Amino acid sequence: MKRIFRRSDEARDVGDELRFHLDMRAREFMEAGMSPEDARKAAADVFGDLGAVDAQLRVARGIHVRSRARRAWRQELIADVAFALRTLRKNIGFTAAALATLTLGIGAATAVFTVVDGVLLRPLPYADPSRLAMIWLTQPKSENGGDIPLSTGFYAEAVGAGKDVFSSIAAFRSWPYTLTGAGEPEQISGTRVTPTLFTILGVRPKLGRDFAETDGDSGAAPVAILSYSLWQRRFGGDAAIVGRSIDLSGQSFTIIGVMPAGFAFPRGAELPKGLQFGLRSEIWTPYQLTAADRRRYSPMNTSAIGRLKPGVTLARAQGELSAALQAWIKERSPTLVLDYRMPTLKQQAGQSVRRGLFLLMGAVGFLLFIACANVANLLIARTGARRREFAVRATLGAGRGRIVRQLVTENVLLATTGSILGVAASVWATRAMLGLVPGSLPRADDVGVDWRVALTAAALAVVVGAIFGLAAGTQVRSGDLADSLRDGEARTTSGRARRIGRRSLVVAEVALSLMLIIGASLLATSFARLQRADSGIRADGTLTANIVLPIGTRFDVANDGPGWAAFFRQLTEQLAKAPQVEAAGAVSNLPLSDAAEGGGFAIVGQPTPQSGQAPHTQYLVVEGDYFRAMGIRLISGRFFDATDNAGSARVLVVSREFARRHLGPSPLGQQIIPYFDFSQAPRTVVGIVDNVQYGSLDSPIEAQAYVPERQMNYPGLNVVLRTRGDPMALLPVLKREVHTLNATLAVSHPRLMSDVMSESLARRRFSMTLIGIFAAAALVLAMVGLYGVIALSVSQRHRELGVRVALGAQASDVLRLVLGEGLRITAAGVLVGLAGAFALSQLVTSLLYGVSATSPGIYTIATTIVVCVTLIASYIPATRAARVDPNVALRSE
Amino acid sequence: MAGSDLFTGTLDILILKAVSWGPRHGYAIGRWIRETTSDDVIVQEGALYPALHRLERKDLLDEEWGVSETGREAKYYKLTAAGRAHLRAESKRWTKFSSAVTRALDATPA
Repeated sequence: MKRIFRRSDEARDVGDELRFHLDMRAREFMEAGMSPEDARKAAADVFGDLGAVDAQLRVARGIHVRSRARRAWRQELIADVAFALRTLRKNIGFTAAALATLTLGIGAATAVFTVVDGVLLRPLPYADPSRLAMIWLTQPKSENGGDIPLSTGFYAEAVGAGKDVFSSIAAFRSWPYTLTGAGEPEQISGTRVTPTLFTILGVRPKLGRDFAETDGDSGAAPVAILSYSLWQRRFGGDAAIVGRSIDLSGQSFTIIGVMPAGFAFPRGAELPKGLQFGLRSEIWTPYQLTAADRRRYSPMNTSAIGRLKPGVTLARAQGELSAALQAWIKERSPTLVLDYRMPTLKQQAGQSVRRGLFLLMGAVGFLLFIACANVANLLIARTGARRREFAVRATLGAGRGRIVRQLVTENVLLATTGSILGVAASVWATRAMLGLVPGSLPRADDVGVDWRVALTAAALAVVVGAIFGLAAGTQVRSGDLADSLRDGEARTTSGRARRIGRRSLVVAEVALSLMLIIGASLLATSFARLQRADSGIRADGTLTANIVLPIGTRFDVANDGPGWAAFFRQLTEQLAKAPQVEAAGAVSNLPLSDAAEGGGFAIVGQPTPQSGQAPHTQYLVVEGDYFRAMGIRLISGRFFDATDNAGSARVLVVSREFARRHLGPSPLGQQIIPYFDFSQAPRTVVGIVDNVQYGSLDSPIEAQAYVPERQMNYPGLNVVLRTRGDPMALLPVLKREVHTLNATLAVSHPRLMSDVMSESLARRRFSMTLIGIFAAAALVLAMVGLYGVIALSVSQRHRELGVRVALGAQASDVLRLVLGEGLRITAAGVLVGLAGAFALSQLVTSLLYGVSATSPGIYTIATTIVVCVTLIASYIPATRAARVDPNVALRSE
Repeated sequence: MAGSDLFTGTLDILILKAVSWGPRHGYAIGRWIRETTSDDVIVQEGALYPALHRLERKDLLDEEWGVSETGREAKYYKLTAAGRAHLRAESKRWTKFSSAVTRALDATPA
């Protein structure tokens, strides 16, 4: 009896079986002497009800066939998995190499995706976040076209103009508070908010109540809402906190609520740095606006956020607000050039890092591709080596589909294991990545490996595994399976196709790693140039700390100002007397903190600039010996000294850039009217100092003006101490002096100036380090990939090389032959890589400093590195080839 | 089908027995049962097929398509390991049962 393979077809099976029975039975009757016709009738008679049996069998048969197919599939899967595990265990070297590569690729990709997801993709933790928009002003054609915060007056205008398009608009501004009471005074990142802010965000307090409309009225009893973290840290999570009073900057507030855990809006990294929000807001108090405030159009210190009404697009809202603003400008100040800019909150939160993160995504994508290419190469090589095994299995009855399925199972198993290890590694890698950018990555709190990330990794594993399996499966063409039993593999045509496939993969690997190395070199060069960039200060040996005097609910310079100035004067004078202190001063904003305030001014003797067209300068309020403490060079004239008092002549020190842009050849003695000064009286320029970088190291040079604290009172300054010896050793002295003057003050953010500098480079260090790591990993993987291809090619050409040696080829000829093969692959990869790097250079330009994205020097260096590494990779198998013994080689096979 | 209800499972045992020497198609199984039981068990031959399919579903029989002695394709049934064990157990039970019934019927009043 011969086996016949056929597909299960229940209807035909049943029909055939019954017909066969009836025919055989009729034949039996005919043998007994009946006519064919009678015999058929007799057969049907003894059978019974043919129709009923047939119908019954068909139904039963359908159920049976399907359940059996399912069972068979399950059994085959179990067998496949078991077989795959056995095979993988047997080839432990291959398995380890493949798993290590996959873990590296998937781990890195998952970690980067986790960060990108948390920072850019995941919805913000607010209700319907896509309908939240920030509202800024912008001067479209001015030199600083960035976001300008609103003033209380512009906020009131926006609220009026946005009635139809926004369900509500809230204003908020940063307001540092000093929390006193139990324990050392602590400076808390506070935010004053109009009462609807939390409603707009759609977040309700966890305890107590939200702000009520009346809390925002001027003169209302002072109330405060705590963040969950502050509630836990300072009040031990006291459930009876609501209703208690706390002292904030010398004023008593009643706590009315506690926000849920994790809520910290606004978080400093998400908004322009100049607004000086803390890393996380920890306390909220009402922003009370008087009727006079609503008509005040400067200073620009108020941020605003609105929730769009249902069905209103952002573009329409922008249009309505803009139209209202233009009408207002036409009426009030026709020459003013001003417009609104309204990014969604998500755009706002991610905009500073979007490009850098997408660059990282791209880089890690390259790395993942290289890792996959390497594993694919390993698999193709191994499939080749297993062709005899497949051929035997095919002969024993396994169909091609069955063999491909086995391969897919094996590879999905491999990829799944790789991705589980990868996800595990990514948890660690994510933490390490975030550790590189303490606090300066927006939404860092939202970053975490969660189901979205795990799902992505899982999908990656299945797809990667299936592709590997199918790729390997194409090697198992049924036609040449039989050949494999007869022939050595190198001689078949599919062997050549496979070789070409593997080489293209390695060419791509070389190209991508070259691109990564070029990218990493460009970033590293930028970083090195930035570190050497002249910031205008001497950061070494300098300690700084922030001190904010109690402001109360109103900013009242006329009454409180002289007290602030007296405090900082006494403090700097006392500190200057300490033995290790060389110079003691204070400044409103630290260099490199990206937080300098700016304002317009007019020059006496020149035509008064039209509104909105005034020249712009960064301005800083200083006390004591700030310039010496910070190591800022005097170019001409003099620094401020003890004679510059509230009553004396009003003076100003400007930067070299300020003088160059605005004051001409003889700047000293000229008079300036600063619009940012509360009194707006003319000031005489008494000194020119060197340019200082108050932004980040890569920002353009800006004009700067310095005003003495005693003539422009400021409640919060950063103390700066230049020291002999260890600057940190002076911190207790600083605290003691501050507390001698006022025991309720907090000395916050004590840091070395060198740390401020390195923090300002944190984001750059982050992308540079990561891309550097990816580039190095990519180069190693590409090297392994090339080595694998050359080594396999040498072993396949063993016989050919033997023949050559037997015919008189020297070891050096063989060496040259094999190295040539490696070099050809490398050359192709380098060409593709250089073209690719050139094509992508536009994308990285904005991330570079002091180096061109197509710098020939860097392209040359990166190419040299790649060529050297690939030479090493092909040299090892080449020397092995050069030692081929023709006697052994020719006898093999 | 007067005879087949005599004992639930009689037909099943006979079918299993019929294939205990090797794979057979449905017709051959029916013919063997007819011949060895002198037509006493099966009255309507159609009843054989639902039984065959039921046994297959219970994994006591396995199917296999093959070519019959007359050169036609036919569906062959063969015993699975479970079927063989089942046949052995049921034969033993049947022997015990039938000898008990025989003893009872042959008994004379005490």
